[in-house]
Amino acid sequence: MGVTCVCQVPVTEGKSVQQTVDVLHKKLEQLGAVKQGSFCVDCETYHATGNVTGQPTKLLYVMHNSETPLSCHALFEGGPCLTADGNFDVLMLKLKSHFQNAKGHKVECRGSRYRYCDFLIKVGTVTMSSSGRGISVEVEYCPCVVPGDCWNLMKEFMQTFLGSSVPELPSVFATKPEGLYAPADCVDTMNQYLELFNKLRKLQAPGSNVR
Amino acid sequence: MADVMNVGVNLEAFSQAINAIQALRSSVTRVFDSLKDGMKNKETLEGREKAFITEFQDNLQSVNRDLKSTWFRNNLKVVINIPPTLKSSSPHPVPSINTLLNITKNSESLCVRLVQVSLGKVLKAIVVMRSLFIDRTIVRGFNENIYSEDGKLDIWSKSQYQVFQKVTDHATTALLHYQLPQMPDVVVRSFMTWLRSYIKLFQSPCQRCGRFLQDGLPPTWRDFRTLEAFHDTCRM
Ligand SMILES: [Zn+2]
Repeated sequence: MGVTCVCQVPVTEGKSVQQTVDVLHKKLEQLGAVKQGSFCVDCETYHATGNVTGQPTKLLYVMHNSETPLSCHALFEGGPCLTADGNFDVLMLKLKSHFQNAKGHKVECRGSRYRYCDFLIKVGTVTMSSSGRGISVEVEYCPCVVPGDCWNLMKEFMQTFLGSSVPELPSVFATKPEGLYAPADCVDTMNQYLELFNKLRKLQAPGSNVR
Repeated sequence: MADVMNVGVNLEAFSQAINAIQALRSSVTRVFDSLKDGMKNKETLEGREKAFITEFQDNLQSVNRDLKSTWFRNNLKVVINIPPTLKSSSPHPVPSINTLLNITKNSESLCVRLVQVSLGKVLKAIVVMRSLFIDRTIVRGFNENIYSEDGKLDIWSKSQYQVFQKVTDHATTALLHYQLPQMPDVVVRSFMTWLRSYIKLFQSPCQRCGRFLQDGLPPTWRDFRTLEAFHDTCRM
């Protein structure tokens, strides 16, 4: 697992989500990237019930990533996270009395996976309760594990197909206690998707300028 | 040449080694013969199977024994005679007969050692040393395995990443560049210093074009003298 960067790409003015995605695909293919299948990241939200009155309910996010199909990631809002095997979903059903599934909060991000040299690029559309919300781009530089080492290199690469919408260094790396030089792991990627999903959820009501 | 023969090769050991190899060949042949013949007729099927398995195990054991004894006997020094034509046409400098002579005179064994080098969180290299000389090297990523499934250092599989395949190629070129047959210690030191400059593999832009990437790869070449970073296509 290398260093990843997940970002949102704005829908081009006067274009639909699909048209904007098509332009990104074309740019990647012109660069020499080769399509290698598809990908999917999903996220279910749970409310922790039965907490002390007066305290805000904490949220628990349970996520899957087709890149690690046998694993399940559970991220506590602002707190610890864990990676378990697929049985974790069954466990969540058993914990119904403690964690309530926030229905209609399911988020999915699906799209194509491209390989360019040692880079892995995933262009996805994010949907919430079956309405399209935005476009995500994930770039992974596979040979390097240290964000602080390869960030400038990744930025240069992203510029070639994202132009001016190149993101800042993902905050998950900067806020680690060991700093930018701690090795990246798959939870860092999930945290970035979660951040993007939450941003998109707040950003716009369903169907405003999408599609 | 006559000198080499006298100093380098102990004829007695040589003939012992040949005998050991012959024994190994015949025990290996026995394994395949018994497999080819299959199970011989016995009263019961069980008896047939049992006899076959016992014979197979015995045969394998003798292969094992003969193999060990071959290794033991082969601990002699053999000087390879390099044809002069190969020497002049080969792009790779070949150690001169004099060097080989020196090794045999000093009676240092030609054993192979594997040296594992980790460079920060950037790369891992396996350096294959033959006696005091670096034979070859393979470079892989920090997050790649350097052990094969049986737990031994994997000195053959190339890195899954193009960037480290390139670095491996360049390291091979560097070994030839730093070749200094009389001073193997200097070679090791120069090579390791050169390899260390890859600590900034992902951080250094190319000293010629100023960019990080060229065809998706960072500057993978390091100048042998200045250790400056260049893209493969940007080096002078
Ligand atoms: Zn260059």
